[in-house]
Amino acid sequence: MAENGKSLRDLAKKLILRTLKAFLKSLVFYMAYLFVWSFFAHFESYVPGLGRTVENFVTVYVLLGFFGDLVAETVFQHFFSVAKALFVVGYLTLTLNGGILNLNYMSVSLTVDLRLFLAAAVLLSLLGLARSMLQAINYANKRSEPPFHL
Amino acid sequence: MDASIRVIGVASTFLWILLVAFFASAAYSVKDLHLDIKKPQLSLTQEGFVVISIPVKIENGGFYNLCDFNLTTMVADLNGSKITEGSTLIPVVRRGDKIDAFHNLTFSLSSFLLDKGVYYLFNDSHFNVTALISMKLAEVIPVQALSNFSVPWGAPLYNFHVGQPNLEPHNITHLKVYVPLSFENHSPVEVNGEIRLYMHSDGETVGYGETTVAAPQGALCTCLVLLYVEASRICEEGFLEVYLSTQLFSYGPLVIPYG
Repeated sequence: MAENGKSLRDLAKKLILRTLKAFLKSLVFYMAYLFVWSFFAHFESYVPGLGRTVENFVTVYVLLGFFGDLVAETVFQHFFSVAKALFVVGYLTLTLNGGILNLNYMSVSLTVDLRLFLAAAVLLSLLGLARSMLQAINYANKRSEPPFHL
Repeated sequence: MDASIRVIGVASTFLWILLVAFFASAAYSVKDLHLDIKKPQLSLTQEGFVVISIPVKIENGGFYNLCDFNLTTMVADLNGSKITEGSTLIPVVRRGDKIDAFHNLTFSLSSFLLDKGVYYLFNDSHFNVTALISMKLAEVIPVQALSNFSVPWGAPLYNFHVGQPNLEPHNITHLKVYVPLSFENHSPVEVNGEIRLYMHSDGETVGYGETTVAAPQGALCTCLVLLYVEASRICEEGFLEVYLSTQLFSYGPLVIPYG
């Protein structure tokens, strides 16, 4: 009975620590985003909706990271890592319109070719995806290995 | 396997930081990129071509070089026919550099007025200008801006009017014929030249006169052309042939009946 209570206490302590760690990581990431964004805030007058698009991206990315950290050391952590990598690829491809951005400012039609950035970002995300899969395989491999005793 | 996964993770994070930092700094550099297009200047070549020079000033205060800066403009009339086209390429604008360049558009006003229509000689109108600016930010991000706008065209001989000839006796055989002429110069350049007038009556040329004109930009020009005509050859009705010859263009004959 006493052992049961102790393990519950340990579990709760572990969960609180993980939540705290995940929260702090997310907070640091969000603060870094706010700092960087402060340099680009004036671009919003030229590109309507830019702030909201970036904000949405950061929010979902931070949430996926937060949940991934919450379930750390379980197989679900890798699910969230994969989801994060796929989200980056999908969101960037959709919002950057395949890499060619067309903007209209007053009577000027502006075209920005971000295909190089998109290609690099997609490749890095795929690298992240491969890493997450390797981690998942490694995790499953470790779990299935019988303990080795001399 | 743990080590290799960790190496992939570190490399991926490092590359992400590099990528985001590079593109964020390149985008931030746009703030310090100043492009100034000043008022066009008109000049004439010895061959009779009009050169429109547009001073372009580029100041690259960003973190990276700018390359393949290209300014292309095309001027078309109201029907969409191309009048002239010009392109200016600046291969590299290094960071911290200030570059002054001229974007030139050259065309022959004389051939334009004769080919595209006399309409523009006597009537104010508008021209459509298409301007395309393209460049590579930080040497790798292609950006282009396209704009269409119209510029007013001022006719050099706006409201050109030839009045009724006034006759005065000169001697026993000849008459002095005064023909009043007037026009407004709405064009951006001064119109200097001469006007020649031929008087035709009953199928024959009966008199000739000429005068010089100097009409500054926006000025109303009025003048009298004096012709000496044989009194016996002049009829009550006939027509005048007007020939205009200026530093920019030559035009004629403009046939105007009288009587």
